[in-house]
Amino acid sequence: MNAPRPFWNPYVGGVVLGLVLLGSFLVMGNGLGASGATTRVGIGIAHTIAPEAVEGNAYFAPYVGPGKNVLDDWLVFEVLGVFLGGAIGAYSAGRMRRGVTMGPRMTSVGKRLAFAFVGGVLMGIAARFGRGCTSGQALTGGSLLSVGSWVFMMMVFAGGYLFAPLVRRQWR
Amino acid sequence: MMFPLYAGEVFGYEAGLVVGVLVGIAFGFVLERSGFGQAPVLAAQFYASDNRVLKVMFTAIVTALLGMTVLAGVGLLDLSALQVPDSVLIAQVVGGLLLGVGFIVSGYCPGTSVVAAASGNIDGWITILGVSVGGLVFGVFYPYVDGLYDMGQLGVLRFPDLLGIPQAILAAGVTAMAIGAFLFAEWGERVLGAKRGEEPPVSEPARRNRVFVGFGVATALGLATLALPASAPASATAAWSPIPALDLARALVESPESVSLVDARDPSACAAARIPGAACLPAGDDGAALLAGLPPTRTLVLYGAGDLATLPDGAARFGGEIRVLAGGFPAFQAAVLAKPDAPGENATPAALRDYALRTALFNHFTGAKVQVQAPVPAARPVERAAKKGGGC
Repeated sequence: MNAPRPFWNPYVGGVVLGLVLLGSFLVMGNGLGASGATTRVGIGIAHTIAPEAVEGNAYFAPYVGPGKNVLDDWLVFEVLGVFLGGAIGAYSAGRMRRGVTMGPRMTSVGKRLAFAFVGGVLMGIAARFGRGCTSGQALTGGSLLSVGSWVFMMMVFAGGYLFAPLVRRQWR
Repeated sequence: MMFPLYAGEVFGYEAGLVVGVLVGIAFGFVLERSGFGQAPVLAAQFYASDNRVLKVMFTAIVTALLGMTVLAGVGLLDLSALQVPDSVLIAQVVGGLLLGVGFIVSGYCPGTSVVAAASGNIDGWITILGVSVGGLVFGVFYPYVDGLYDMGQLGVLRFPDLLGIPQAILAAGVTAMAIGAFLFAEWGERVLGAKRGEEPPVSEPARRNRVFVGFGVATALGLATLALPASAPASATAAWSPIPALDLARALVESPESVSLVDARDPSACAAARIPGAACLPAGDDGAALLAGLPPTRTLVLYGAGDLATLPDGAARFGGEIRVLAGGFPAFQAAVLAKPDAPGENATPAALRDYALRTALFNHFTGAKVQVQAPVPAARPVERAAKKGGGC
């Protein structure tokens, strides 16, 4: 098997990413996002399992009101594209491979997946408070010079750096 | 103004979804090729051994920012038609810290977890599962944390409006800051690498410097647009005319991009309830700077708790047309946010038309579905902007 292609130079990748973001603004008037779509899928699944509970919830009700499809949203389609684009990128670079990525000292796959899940839950909650995640707030709002987005972005880095020593064994 | 195309109604909602998939494909592809489909690459950021996340993210922000600044400077892009996420400062401090913790625990952020999953990484799939469960957990506890959720609500607030400094100058500052951060990060990688006995990430100064030169050129172009003649000279004393609540509602539905709506009531009253799409006016100089900095191409509509006796500070420095909502917020509530009474059997055609309009506006602004045979004006941007939960 050939070695996978190396990653792009980060500055070159950043410029291309910035041009994609700029293109989204010029065509659609909005930037990029991610967590909103993942949340919508979760709400959609919960809604098929327990419709009354979801419709009766003050936060979910606006998503699933009468005549509304929780998946009928630009972000859901955009994130569908992210999946396709990620798959194309990984396949064409020779990186498409079923597996689990983890740090060199992490030996238990189960433990790594538990970390992935817990971190995901925290981010799912955080993205609701933050009105977005690294894509929708930090990247998109950051380029729009939105005050809250810059506060959010600085806090993401602060949270990451502050907590990193506690999970050092997972990564280093 | 040519951009954004969507606000100019060049294409419809469905075509927009197709664009969404295409934009997403490009987004996902770039993230993958930048290495963001693999958790250890992302996590390295927080151990300062490889600042790839910082480099890619800030380069992207600067690129898009400079592009928008230049295009807006030469009049090709209407910045005020772009969707800006709300600033809710306290909630975003909490959310940001929590997201940072989640990031280093899972190894991904919500967007990169999708790319990881697409590359076949099971940990990416599990993170996606976690994020959607987290959204549900938030919803379940929302009734207990709704105060915190709205704490620090400022509506749409951009630094150029907050500081009263032109976008091009701020963009130049952000660019300089980013270049400084990149050089510092690379220095840190070398020093820490030597200390830890690790090889620092490959540095390609030639490529990096080409990107920096591009930033410099775009920054200079952005600053040069400041020398272009301003569109409208600000009048010394602001003249204004009243606007009835129904006319305002109609304008918000039919051409939201033609209006800057500002709530001039007490900021706490505004934070509690306001007309959908309105920005809260901060007290004092911040508010004055905001008003003065609004684009003069849009009509500024102000409203108070009743009729406004005097215009707030800064309105005199606003260059465009000013209108004041007759009767203030209560008038809008009564006219638009309250369900209209059905007309009697002998209603005049004028009364029926009035009812149809009120019903359409009521449905639009409250999301209710009161059925009536009337042409309901469609205005997707307003609905999207009014949605809860943010753009990400």
